[in-house]
Amino acid sequence: MPNTRLIPARFTYHRPGRLQEALELLARLPAPRVLAGGTDLLIQIKTGECQPEALVQVLDIQELAAFTVAAGAAGLTVGAAVPLYRLEEEKLLAARYTALHEAVRALASVQIRTMATLGGNLCNASPSADTSGPLIVLGAEAEIAGLSGGKVALRRVGMAKFFTGPGATVLQPGELLVALRLPEPPAASGSAFLKLGRVTLDMAKVSASAYLEREGGRLRAVRLAVGGAAPTPVRALAVEKALSGAAFSPSAVQKAVARVQESISPIDDVRSTAEYRRLMAPVVLRDAILTAWRRAGGEVKE
Amino acid sequence: MTIALTVNGRRHELEVQPNELLLNLLRDRLQLTGTKYGCGLGECGACTVLLDGRPILSCQTLAVSVAGRSITTIEGVAGEAGGQHPLQEAFLEEGAVQCGYCTPGMILSAKALLDRNPDPSTDDIRHALRGNFCRCTGYVGILAAVKAAARKMRSAPAH
Repeated sequence: MPNTRLIPARFTYHRPGRLQEALELLARLPAPRVLAGGTDLLIQIKTGECQPEALVQVLDIQELAAFTVAAGAAGLTVGAAVPLYRLEEEKLLAARYTALHEAVRALASVQIRTMATLGGNLCNASPSADTSGPLIVLGAEAEIAGLSGGKVALRRVGMAKFFTGPGATVLQPGELLVALRLPEPPAASGSAFLKLGRVTLDMAKVSASAYLEREGGRLRAVRLAVGGAAPTPVRALAVEKALSGAAFSPSAVQKAVARVQESISPIDDVRSTAEYRRLMAPVVLRDAILTAWRRAGGEVKE
Repeated sequence: MTIALTVNGRRHELEVQPNELLLNLLRDRLQLTGTKYGCGLGECGACTVLLDGRPILSCQTLAVSVAGRSITTIEGVAGEAGGQHPLQEAFLEEGAVQCGYCTPGMILSAKALLDRNPDPSTDDIRHALRGNFCRCTGYVGILAAVKAAARKMRSAPAH
């Protein structure tokens, strides 16, 4: 084990106030890394896993610090550098974007949530990052900034396509995640996030996120995601297909969630085994769907 | 780089290196050794201090990144008058301390909770202290101490 009391590595520190300046620094500096809350990156630097020559801390950039929950159809915008405690404390988030709120509240400790940012949790791209599944099922889009001809250029990527592997995302060198934009969920919709861990502080062994829209006793749109059971968070597309438009019943859900196996490819690692993850993925997914259904105003009975 | 920061109400101007951790600035340069080095990896909470009233991990914080901010360590919880904070009194009275290594972080996390929520439920306390490990006491005394301190602070809201 390295000495984790200090950081022997040397790097320069930069704290741009504007997006353009941040992108120029990322383009100009040798071996730069974006620093937000530091809860993942500083550990990676301590262990030698990551050896940046320059850190660009992005907490002061207006576009990355934006946090607006609009009352109307405009939905939710969360800047990538918004610390997680602010999401935890936002009551409208708990009411409308419940799965995301649950994931934030379940994430690590108060100290980590005070420091860590939503963008940091996503860009670190752990296959079991708690906030990824809820953002996928709630239909979030990532707004990404880069330089094009010396000017700031923005592009948008759906969250389901944001992750490309463990620790890897669609972000190109020099690009910066700016914000997450979520549409306003319609009435009679509900969402839920559930995870299994050894103790509550831990990262998930396996997690499930569910979003659904209810029309009387039937399911309309259904979006489901599983974390910790594949190289990236994944949509459970076969289960979604089986349930979308179907009459709701616990037995229909129980039958459908078995098809989650088609979407996952779990491995053995320090937190759990592939076998346990295969056995538990349908269970947490089922429970997340039933909870989301109740939240959409539905009843759970045969 | 030169930074200014306020620690326990006192302003300091310090020359810091980009790779210098807040933990070491507090312990080695300001001699505030109440803040402990535990795991160094964000698991144990022994290095907890308050940043503008909210708990953070000082072993995971670059000193340069908290320029201009206000830090409270265990040495600062009692305030200028000295004596003990109600949480410190309650930890002693309830036997919530054994080896004491986790206690500064535990008290700071509890202070941040009580400053926002003067009447927390047991679940609220457990949620707030989830990031502070104690390997001696079994937590029962700690929960009792935080509840006792909350009662004290509600009846005499000086702190």
